[in-house]
Amino acid sequence: MKLIKRKLRLAVIAVSILLMSLVVYGVYSLGVSGNRWFSSSVNTSLRKVKQGVIPGRIYDRNGIQLAGANVKGERLYHTDEITRRSLVHVLGVPDGTVKNGVETFMSYLLYAYDDSYLTRLTAAFSGQMRTGYDLRLTVSSGLSRMITEQFPKDKSGAVVVMNYRTGEILSLNSFPNFDPLQMEGVATNPKKPYINNVTQWRSAPGSIFKAVTMAAALANWPDALDRTFTCTGAYQVGETIITDAGNARHGEITLQKALAVSCNITFAKLALELGDEQFRLAAQAFGLDDHLLFSDLVVENSLYPSSNRVAKELAWTGPGQSALFVTPMHMCLVAAGIANDGVIMEPKLLIQSVDRNKQGKAQMTPTVYKKAMTPQHADVLAEAMRQVVVSGTGTRAAVPGLKICGKTGSAQIDGQTSTNAWFIGFIDEKTLPYAVCVVVNDAGEGSRHAAPLARQIFEYIKNQR
Amino acid sequence: MSDAVKTRNRWLVLPGMLFFFTAYLLLGLKEFDWQAFVMAIFVPGVFFLVTVILPKLIPADRILLTLVNFLCGLGVLVLFRLNPERGFGQAVNYAVGLVGMIGCLLIVRFWPQIKWTMPLIVIAAVGLMALPLLIGTVKNGARAWVRIAGVNFQPSEIIKVALLLVCSFMLARRMVIPTLAFAGVCLGLLFLQRDLGTAMLYYAITLILVYVSTGSLTFLSLGTLGAGAGAVIGYQMNTYVQNRVKIWQNPWDDPYGVSYQVVQSMVAMVNGGPWGTGLGLGSAKVIPEVETDFIFAAVFHEFGLIFGVCVILMFLMIFLRGVGVAMRARSKFHTLLALGCSCFIAIQTFVIIGGNINMIPLTGVTLPFLSYGGTSMVSSLCIMGLLQGVANANERGLEEDQLIAMLGEES
Repeated sequence: MKLIKRKLRLAVIAVSILLMSLVVYGVYSLGVSGNRWFSSSVNTSLRKVKQGVIPGRIYDRNGIQLAGANVKGERLYHTDEITRRSLVHVLGVPDGTVKNGVETFMSYLLYAYDDSYLTRLTAAFSGQMRTGYDLRLTVSSGLSRMITEQFPKDKSGAVVVMNYRTGEILSLNSFPNFDPLQMEGVATNPKKPYINNVTQWRSAPGSIFKAVTMAAALANWPDALDRTFTCTGAYQVGETIITDAGNARHGEITLQKALAVSCNITFAKLALELGDEQFRLAAQAFGLDDHLLFSDLVVENSLYPSSNRVAKELAWTGPGQSALFVTPMHMCLVAAGIANDGVIMEPKLLIQSVDRNKQGKAQMTPTVYKKAMTPQHADVLAEAMRQVVVSGTGTRAAVPGLKICGKTGSAQIDGQTSTNAWFIGFIDEKTLPYAVCVVVNDAGEGSRHAAPLARQIFEYIKNQR
Repeated sequence: MSDAVKTRNRWLVLPGMLFFFTAYLLLGLKEFDWQAFVMAIFVPGVFFLVTVILPKLIPADRILLTLVNFLCGLGVLVLFRLNPERGFGQAVNYAVGLVGMIGCLLIVRFWPQIKWTMPLIVIAAVGLMALPLLIGTVKNGARAWVRIAGVNFQPSEIIKVALLLVCSFMLARRMVIPTLAFAGVCLGLLFLQRDLGTAMLYYAITLILVYVSTGSLTFLSLGTLGAGAGAVIGYQMNTYVQNRVKIWQNPWDDPYGVSYQVVQSMVAMVNGGPWGTGLGLGSAKVIPEVETDFIFAAVFHEFGLIFGVCVILMFLMIFLRGVGVAMRARSKFHTLLALGCSCFIAIQTFVIIGGNINMIPLTGVTLPFLSYGGTSMVSSLCIMGLLQGVANANERGLEEDQLIAMLGEES
């Protein structure tokens, strides 16, 4: 009997822990992800929550009002159509047609979901509508408007600009866009203008991914910079032959030079020599395959290919093709990480939220998302990306008087006549810590069709100083 | 020695009655439903009867009785709110369950007189368990239901009671091998029926009871390894299990498709927030199977996080109280029986609430006392009846002690 009662203790402790773990896990997961679940489009009772509340106003970083509401609680927008269009994916629309815009993802603030019961009861008895909290976002409506005006009219694509020291998103544009005041036909438009191409669209990155491949080489080989590679213009891997744009032949080149001229063959060799495992780890250090659970925005996870890793496929991953799927937001984070000494900051959209009595309800705190590489390697890579803009494929992004670093890309997509034009880059100046990612779909080379837009963005930022 | 059975429970009973009274009053006033007004009088009355009057007739652990009946009442309330018909149905299940509980209490009470039926119980249990394979119907991937004389029931729920009795009885006599053989046959039949959630429960309980009675760490480690191996084999062989695991890992991959249910459950909980939407004001009906598998999400949704945590804590208190009964028990059989009953309810609670909050993959077991379903309600209350039987025996043992005062005899 005594033995039994002693042994009983272990069972009791184990089962008690099981039951308590329910409480711990439940409270923890609700605390961490509750807002994400709440504001997801699956939540059918969100509409109910919104009744009886005048939504809060939304301002840009300079205090320009982007969205307000009338006394009936209906949304009012900026008077300028291009401004409305350029911000529609950031703000979203009240009915949730744009998934995870501020309008839905931050609805717990805009619709004052955490109002106390007393406030709710008072409002219910007095018949007055409650007022939601006002938001001040990190975006600049001026920059967003400029980007919308300059982006090729008939193309789809995405542009995102962020501060790489704090993570503040200065502009986030998805094309095609639409006017929130003219919603007819938007949901059924075959071009799907309601999709946020910055955060919800994944595609092959092309050569901009060479920055990640090079980071992998730097992390794994101490002598990476001393080595030279031979580019003969054609490199056979299995039954496939890897060539360079315009069938160029680069001869003996260093890693830095290979990045500047965007040599596919060198980066294919890097990928093969690194091997799938090392390369995958380096890519994951930049956040590929990670669930990007950011507090202010929902970003689809980027994927390093997981199946069919034969030599041919691995070789093509080095120059950024072959089943790689990335979002423009994530590629901007890659550039931001290289710029910020290897530390990727979490992208932020909300500076501050205040209730009707100007009481603070939410405040931005810069948060580190990931340490992607060491500061030394980040410096080396930044310098190599500097050469891309000075003398390589990215010269069209150069701005006199600014230290611009970047990388172009031209991603081949099955079934498209032209390549997707990509550019990632940043200003390497203490006072102007901004990174960009530009992608123009089905347009041609990144050097011709993405880099010039990046230059305009850099110039705009420079002139605003 | 504290006297568990005589502990006064009126400070638990009164708030409970008040809770049910106001809850039904609220529901009644909301849509002026006379049925709810009747319930507002009837339910607190029944609650008073079973928690105050019943233990006067048959000595039983009153705290345990109060907690269990509160949860049963809560189940009836939430079901009544979701669908009044189901609420009444559950009230009938509850009544039948109470009869079962008293019956099981009496089985333990008169066990010495009827223990000769043991072989019959074993044969009947195995026979009943095999029944669904012969004439069963498939529901949610498991062939676990049987229809006899117009009544649908799940034999595996009823056999829980037999399993606890048989295992405790045999293990108290050091009959480890027959115990394992019996449990093994039951498990095998459950696997064939694909009722994997219940199989998991049976396995865990057998493991705990054998470990506690033999004290063999070797057995415990082997059993744990076996569970791991079983999980892997079950996963490999069964696409249904693979799907459940996939949903558990990434519920947001397909929130409108395969993971609709669990995502709606999570969303319902977060919509409830710390204080809940309020009784009758929620929309938990959007969750498929909310009345059975996801009843906890419905409670959480309308009563809120804090109440939800309290419900879990009530299950924990039932468990610990049950363990207290086991500790005071006077024979090996009674100790094992009480422990088995307590663990069964606790682990079943963990498995289904864990599934509701997506902590573990969802399995189709019911939440004891709350989920809609006759067999589940009856079996949960029967298990409580066994536990109360041991509490009752402890009480009589105590009285005998007092009679043969201070002779220092130990049973």
